[in-house]
Amino acid sequence: MNDVVVTGFGVRTAFGDGADALRSGVFAGRAAFGPIERFGTEGLRTGVAACAPGTPRLRTALTEVADSAVAMAGLPPGRGTAVLVGAAGDFTAVTAFWASGATDDVEDSAAGRFADVLAERLGARGPRTTFTTACVASANAIVHGCRLIAAGVVDSAVCAGGYLVEPENQSKFDSGRALSRDGAIRPFSEGRSGLLLGDGVAAVVLESAAHAARRGADVLARVPGWGVAADAHHIARPHPRARGLVLAATAALGKGGPVDYVNAHGTGTQHNDSAETAGLHALFGADAPSIPVSSTKSTTGHMLEGAGAVEFVVTLLALLDRTVPPTAGFTGRDPVCDLDYVPNEARPAALRRALTVNAAFGGANTALVLELP
Amino acid sequence: MKILATAVGDTATAPQVTGFIESPFNPLAHQVAEQLLSGVDGARLGVVLASELGDSVTTDLSSRLLTEGRPANALLFMQATANAILGRISIEHDITGPLLSLAPGEHPGGGPLDVAELLLADDLDRVLVLGVELAGTPRTDAVHRRRGTEPRAADLAAGLLVGRGDGLPKPYPPGVAGLHALAATPTAQGDRR
Repeated sequence: MNDVVVTGFGVRTAFGDGADALRSGVFAGRAAFGPIERFGTEGLRTGVAACAPGTPRLRTALTEVADSAVAMAGLPPGRGTAVLVGAAGDFTAVTAFWASGATDDVEDSAAGRFADVLAERLGARGPRTTFTTACVASANAIVHGCRLIAAGVVDSAVCAGGYLVEPENQSKFDSGRALSRDGAIRPFSEGRSGLLLGDGVAAVVLESAAHAARRGADVLARVPGWGVAADAHHIARPHPRARGLVLAATAALGKGGPVDYVNAHGTGTQHNDSAETAGLHALFGADAPSIPVSSTKSTTGHMLEGAGAVEFVVTLLALLDRTVPPTAGFTGRDPVCDLDYVPNEARPAALRRALTVNAAFGGANTALVLELP
Repeated sequence: MKILATAVGDTATAPQVTGFIESPFNPLAHQVAEQLLSGVDGARLGVVLASELGDSVTTDLSSRLLTEGRPANALLFMQATANAILGRISIEHDITGPLLSLAPGEHPGGGPLDVAELLLADDLDRVLVLGVELAGTPRTDAVHRRRGTEPRAADLAAGLLVGRGDGLPKPYPPGVAGLHALAATPTAQGDRR
C-alpha cells in the first residue's frame, strides 16, 4: 500500500477564493448567510443562503479550483493522474431548459461531464469518475483517489467537488422543511432548526508519498486513513447512534488512535447533531469530551456535493494553522449534544491529526483522517 | 474479479417501491438488486450504482414544477438522488458497506466495475454493481444532440454481483450498456453467498 499525501488545494466558498478567504470567514466564526439575490425566492419559506456575488457556473468554478490546486502542487497531470469529481449536474442548466428551452449549457446538466471537462483541461489521462452521492459526493471522490493511489493504480489524483446555490435545491429543501427558520445554522446548539445552503467548491491534489518525494513537492499533510459505510437504518434520517459514521470513522482511524480535532458533518438539524454526538462518544469513549468538534457549515452553509471537499480543505487548514475553527451561531448547550463544540471563537491548538466526517441521504457516511507530515 | 450472478430489469414488470413515485428509475434499480441479493449476506457488501444521465424523470419533473410555478413535491425531494434507493436497498439487506452512485463516461478505467474492483481489494467480499439508464426526456435528448450521441429508446437496467477472483477481462466496460451486455450473457462463476 502506498502512503497518500496532499500537495495542493483550491477552494471557493461564499467568502471568496483560497485559504485567506476561509481564514477571514470560517476561522473567524463569521457566518456568510444573507438574503438570496441570485434568483427569486417568492413562495419559499426560506430565502436565505450563503452565496458569493453573481451567478457563477459550476463548470467554471470547478475548473478554477482545480487549476489552483494543481498550480499549488506544481503537478503536471499526465497518464498517471486520475480525475475524480463529486457533483450533481448543474441544475441551472436544467432550469434553463425547462424555463425557456435553452440548450447552450444543457450538457452541464449531466454530472458525468465534469470529470471529462477537468481531465481534458488538465491533460490528465488516468481514470475519471464523477460521484453523484449527494452530500458525500466529493468526500467519495477523495476517498476513491486515496484508494487508487494506495493500490498503485495511479500515482496522483485531482479530486474535486462542488455545489452552487440555485433555485432547484433551494426549493426542494424548502419543500422538505429542512431549512433553518431563523437565518442561521446552529449546529449542536440549543434552538437549532435546520440547515441553510451555501456555495462550496474545492479541489485537492493527492499523490503517493513516493511520487511527491520524487518531484520534490511540498507535502501539506498525509492521509493515513479513510472509510465509507452505510447506516442501513432510514432513507432520510441518520441512525440515532450513527452506525455508519462509526463504521466509516473506525476504518479511517485504523490503529492510529484518537485525533486532536473533528470537523463534523453538523448540519444543524435535530436528528443529525444528536446522532453525530452519540457516534463520536462511541468512537472516542472517555476521550470524546476533550476532543474539539466543530461544524463549519455554521459559517459556509451546507454545500451539498461540495461539502466533503471544502471541509477536507478546512480541516487541512486547521492543521496547517494550528487553529480549531469554531461552530458559529452556538447559543447554548443542548442536553443531547454534550461535547466541546468550540462555540463561536476559533481556538489555537497544537493539532497534529484530525478527522473530517460527512453524511448523506440514504444513510451514506464518509470519514477521512489527515495528519501533519 | 469474477461475476457471481447477473440480472436485468424490465420497466413493465418492476414492482413499485413504496415511497418512490413517478419515475421508473428506482423500481428498476430495486428490481435488479432484489434478484441478486436474495439469500446474500449483506455484511461486507458494497453497492455501486451507475447511471450516465441519472434519474432524469425525477430531475425533470421537479424542474417543471419549479419553472411552472407549481408547488414542489416533497417525495420528489426525497428521491432526488440515487442515495435514496441505495438507502432502501441497504435497509432491506442490512448492508453497511459503501453505497456509491456515479455517472460514468466513456473513458476506460473509471466505470462502476473499476470502482467495484477497488472496493474488493480494499475490504469487501462482494459488490453489487447496478446500472440504470432511462429512455430519453426532452432534456436528455437535447444533451444527446449536443454530444452527437443517440438517446435511449427504452429504459435499461442491469446488475452484476461480483467478487474477488479471475475471469472478468479488462478493460471493463465503463457504461450501463456494457453492464447490460455482461448481465445478459450467462457468465456467473461462483457462489454468490
